Amino acid sequence: MMKHYFNDLVAGIEASLAAAPDNKSPRKLYALEIAKLGSRLYSGENRVAWCGIAAPFDILSAMNVTSCFVEFIGAMLASTGLSTEFLEEAEHAGFASDICGYHRAILGATRKGLMPEPDFLIGTTCPCSGGIAVMENMAAHFNKDLFVLNIPQQQSAAGIRYLADQIRQMVTFVSDHTGQPLDEEKLRAAVIRTNQARKLIAETYELAKQTPSPTDGKMLANFGIVMALLLGSDAAVEVAQAYLDEFKNRVKNGISGSKEEKLRLMWIQNRIQFKNPLVDMLEKEFGAVVVIDELNDITWDEIDPDDPYTGIARRAISIPFNGQATHRIDHLKKLAKDYKIDGAINPCNWGCRQGTGSKGLITEGLKEMGVPVLNLEVDCIDHRSFADGQIKTRMEAFIEMLNDRPSPWG
Amino acid sequence: MEPKENIGFACAYTPLPLIDAAGYAPFRILPVGDFPDQAGQLLHDNLCPHIKRILDRAMSGDLPDLAGAVFINSCDAMRRMADAWIDIHKIDTRKNGRTILIDLPATADSLSISFFRDELVRAADALADWRGKKIEPEAIAASIDKYNEISGLLVQIAQKFRQGRLDGGTAALQKIYNQAATSPFDDTLVRLKQLQDAPDSDAPKNKGVPVFLFGNVMPDPEAFEMIESCGAAIMNDDFCTGSRMFAPIADDDAGDVFSRMAEALLTRQPCARTFDPARPGKIAEDVLNNAKAAQALGVIGHTVKFCDPYLERLPFIREALKNAGMPLLLLEGDCSLRSIGQQKTRIEAFIEMLR
Repeated sequence: MMKHYFNDLVAGIEASLAAAPDNKSPRKLYALEIAKLGSRLYSGENRVAWCGIAAPFDILSAMNVTSCFVEFIGAMLASTGLSTEFLEEAEHAGFASDICGYHRAILGATRKGLMPEPDFLIGTTCPCSGGIAVMENMAAHFNKDLFVLNIPQQQSAAGIRYLADQIRQMVTFVSDHTGQPLDEEKLRAAVIRTNQARKLIAETYELAKQTPSPTDGKMLANFGIVMALLLGSDAAVEVAQAYLDEFKNRVKNGISGSKEEKLRLMWIQNRIQFKNPLVDMLEKEFGAVVVIDELNDITWDEIDPDDPYTGIARRAISIPFNGQATHRIDHLKKLAKDYKIDGAINPCNWGCRQGTGSKGLITEGLKEMGVPVLNLEVDCIDHRSFADGQIKTRMEAFIEMLNDRPSPWG
Repeated sequence: MEPKENIGFACAYTPLPLIDAAGYAPFRILPVGDFPDQAGQLLHDNLCPHIKRILDRAMSGDLPDLAGAVFINSCDAMRRMADAWIDIHKIDTRKNGRTILIDLPATADSLSISFFRDELVRAADALADWRGKKIEPEAIAASIDKYNEISGLLVQIAQKFRQGRLDGGTAALQKIYNQAATSPFDDTLVRLKQLQDAPDSDAPKNKGVPVFLFGNVMPDPEAFEMIESCGAAIMNDDFCTGSRMFAPIADDDAGDVFSRMAEALLTRQPCARTFDPARPGKIAEDVLNNAKAAQALGVIGHTVKFCDPYLERLPFIREALKNAGMPLLLLEGDCSLRSIGQQKTRIEAFIEMLR
């Protein structure tokens, strides 16, 4: 099912791009590369590793391993309207409905044979306890070897060294399973491509800060977290370049991403992955545009190609979901200031102890700088409990409140 | 001698000998009592009741004076609890800054033990700073000896309770565990030695159906009493508020004290959050083996709501026990006796089925 889905998606986007070669939408290029990744995962012809979110995908790419964090499949199932069957399968197998929807969908998909058998698994303790438990479940289900990367909480010398050493061990583990040692030159080239993509993405985000922003509420949805899957590849550089070119063009010609940008919003954590009318409604009815997602930021320095493990370890530790809530709140405050945000929306993904668990502290932190937060209560994968009308009403009230107050940025 | 100041902790992976060696009394902040729900507002309602009750106790002023807190980054909930703890104490000039969160790897390979050792050194430095006095390795070694003595005595005393040689059943045993977790080592040793020397009881023995209990937290002695009142004889348990709390630290003169503690803590009978990647799902084998070793006819699992490390591993355990023909009853609670009491009929039916 997924194999056909991704193959059809690739064919469809390629046909669309071929039909209008002068109009290469960056979002389409991005969707094409993601579809190609899905296609490779399900082709049965590639070495596959199911991973945790903080895995070093550029290293795995340099070692010819098609790798992906499992939550990506949970999101795909939701966006295509297929998640219910797998959520129910997981629940019937005894996984409580209080567990994160991403993880329930994956656990159900694994049991129903929808997840391709991996060659091995790379778990990461960041961002959450639930994610590493899913990897243990999948390793047991497929009877495949699991390597765990413990991501320290702090950017201390000891923490960076610990993670860098683990990544070196991971390389040995992967080599043992592929029968191919790491080609240092390939890794070097992958790191250079990662740095190129990093620079282009950083410039793109810089342009997105403009008022009005060249982005709309959808162009960069899920972008930061999913682009990590492409790091180390030419595709990451091409997609990033396409975004930068598009945004430069828009800024130069005074084209904003949305028709009317009355209010600028920040989306906290991940998007609601199943089809829903909220972002469109905000934009079209209220001129309220999501100009920044929490995870659309570069929080790490360029990686030294001569010492890649240290830089890659630093990158994994730097992600906003890692460490204490103050680290995350400081990051959200920085984004709110840089993007001149009027208000923030937190979907509070039900079942996410890690991200949603800081709801109150985040609300308090942003409130200190005059940025109100609308906390929804949504399972971002499981549409069965989605109260469309109720959430719309709350959003309307939130926008009304934002319209009635001065901008925190003068 | 002046009473020792308390250092709060909340997880069985806490390096208790360090706290003792620093001159403090380790005080486990147990999720007991009934207080207005404030923590849910500060964090989110979907966090486990274990940490919410701890915070509610703190926010309701139910805790003794604490000179600081040593928390462990054992799971998402514990990490969020540390965040909230720091937030609610930020206006307290004495306690502000006196919270440390120790990073705990999920695996026990040599790199992880070495990193965890460094984390214990960081914790020791923080404790020494709070106390204003360096902690000498000899003091830590002496505290490890005391801790090991407590651990050994608890095993012997637990055996005496379970054999009916001490009065009060496993409810009384749980009280002993709770006291040990909230008292200075020296006081605990005195109490445990008295119990060890106590004459055997003449009271009638528990003739209930032998069961094994496992899960995360169940500190309320009345919960044990209630389960036994349903006709069960609790042969052993595996809770972080019970038998897992004082696991011995190997006597190894060659290793330094921090390495000894790091290895012992990471390789002890694990909570679901720690696992061996080479043996995924091993927690199910552990539960089954422990139940068999206890000669139990059935297993009762009790976990608190929203505990991901357990929620995502319970299906393993259910399947393994089913395959082995070991009956299992799973209960979910919120750390209150009320939540367990509501399931009394299910427990009675389960015990009846085992007869």
